[in-house]
Amino acid sequence: MENKKYQYIENPLHITRREFITISGIIVAFLALPAVWIKALTSANNNYIQARTKGLYQDDEKAAVRVSHANKSVTRYYKEFGGEPLGHLSEELLHTKYINRTKGLS
Amino acid sequence: MNATAKTYQKGEIPGVIAIKASSCKGCDACKRHCPTSAITGMFGATHSINVDLCLSCGQCLINCPFGAPYETSYTVDEVIAKLKDPNFTVVGIIAPAVRVAIGEDFGLPAGSLVTGKLYGSMKKAGFEILDNNFTADLTIMEEGTEFISRARHAVFGEKNERGGETGPLPQFTSCCPAWVRLVEIKYPALIPNLSSAKSPQQMAGTVAKTYGTKIWKKSAEKIYTVGIMPCTAKKLEASRPEFISAYEYNKKNEGASSKPYPDVDTVLTTRDLSRLLKKMKIDLAKEKEVEGGTLLADYTGAGTIFGNTGGVMEAAVRTAYAVITGEELQPLEFKKVRGLKGVKSASVTIKDSKYNKEVTLNLAVVHNISENIKPVVEEVLAGRSPYHFIEVMNCPGGCINGGGQPICGNGSSWLGAIRPWFAWT
Repeated sequence: MENKKYQYIENPLHITRREFITISGIIVAFLALPAVWIKALTSANNNYIQARTKGLYQDDEKAAVRVSHANKSVTRYYKEFGGEPLGHLSEELLHTKYINRTKGLS
Repeated sequence: MNATAKTYQKGEIPGVIAIKASSCKGCDACKRHCPTSAITGMFGATHSINVDLCLSCGQCLINCPFGAPYETSYTVDEVIAKLKDPNFTVVGIIAPAVRVAIGEDFGLPAGSLVTGKLYGSMKKAGFEILDNNFTADLTIMEEGTEFISRARHAVFGEKNERGGETGPLPQFTSCCPAWVRLVEIKYPALIPNLSSAKSPQQMAGTVAKTYGTKIWKKSAEKIYTVGIMPCTAKKLEASRPEFISAYEYNKKNEGASSKPYPDVDTVLTTRDLSRLLKKMKIDLAKEKEVEGGTLLADYTGAGTIFGNTGGVMEAAVRTAYAVITGEELQPLEFKKVRGLKGVKSASVTIKDSKYNKEVTLNLAVVHNISENIKPVVEEVLAGRSPYHFIEVMNCPGGCINGGGQPICGNGSSWLGAIRPWFAWT
């Protein structure tokens, strides 16, 4: 019988256990990345809503007068022209009626 | 007029929003934002809008990743022509939400409050300023008084002093034109519950062309009113044919013979105003801060928060509390109605100084009506709603996120739909 050369290969890829853990970690990170990205983008949508909301509340906080009934110009409008809230002229100029528009829809 | 549009009166813009077929990819992102399911077309096919159902709120427009929806009404050039005409006084009616958003179009960070710069650049362009916050205060006076009379009628059986009918509770706010149109096309049974007060924009137009004639010393025909709004539905609202009350008032008192003119001549969205300023080579970011000038530009903190969801309610509570009890609310911030929760509710116990009795008022605030309005409305229709006063705004977050605001350019609206798949986001 000829001498058969036989080489036993235990690990053809030569990946050590540490390397395997590293590579798995990288794959998981790549899978998780889109999720983080999506979260960042969708929360950016809310961020500008919150920024604008904050801007208006700031405008309220720095206002000298913060209640409508103390607006001197409104008082002057009613005194010089409008009469009183829900008064005759107010009903005529500042109030309206609504229309039932369902007739056109089936 | 569009021959197929059945839910519009003569003279109204039949649907402010349309979809440009060549840009639409059929991705269905817009459908999630539509409050009335007015957008038709299969996934992958070009979408179109059913104008009879459309509220013109523009949420599809600001959320489309491809910029396919556009506004059918574009009057920037018309306004520029009027600004250059020395015969006309052009009055800009600036809505609260514009001042915290227009800066974005000129490179300022989101949420920058630029009231002074906005006044400055608009005056440079030739506008007179009528701050819509002034008429927001006026709205609170009218709508708040109306609410108090409805509440006193329901609780104490108080009769209307002028013999008119008092509407039922709960009272709905009427500032949001998209919400008003939703009631008109879908829930007509709720029309008596809507506050009869006009929206701040329409009040502003009427005041400008009646009381304003004394302030600017011009006849009403020579005053050209331009709504500067965060909203596309305001374009439709301004075109409603019944809004000619200034004309009718002036005809009755001065016998003017000109042809009827609308209270608000035209509406520009926040985006339109940036285009106008850029066309006139005005850089808002570099303008000086300027005061409003007339008494019609005076406003309070209560008027300015109208642009946030819960703002109208908070402003109304501050005033109603003071009127009913005779004392100011302490503290003035009514935080229960702030924030981005879909339906916010709160109750206040108030001692009515007129009847010397304690009353508990239940209040609710609804925004983003495509998701949140149904249960609230169904409760009211079934007659078992616990609320007395309900604020409704169409857009998520209120007017500050309206359909006419600068577009947040990340085009991520479609991502919201797949986000629930990732449990850990």
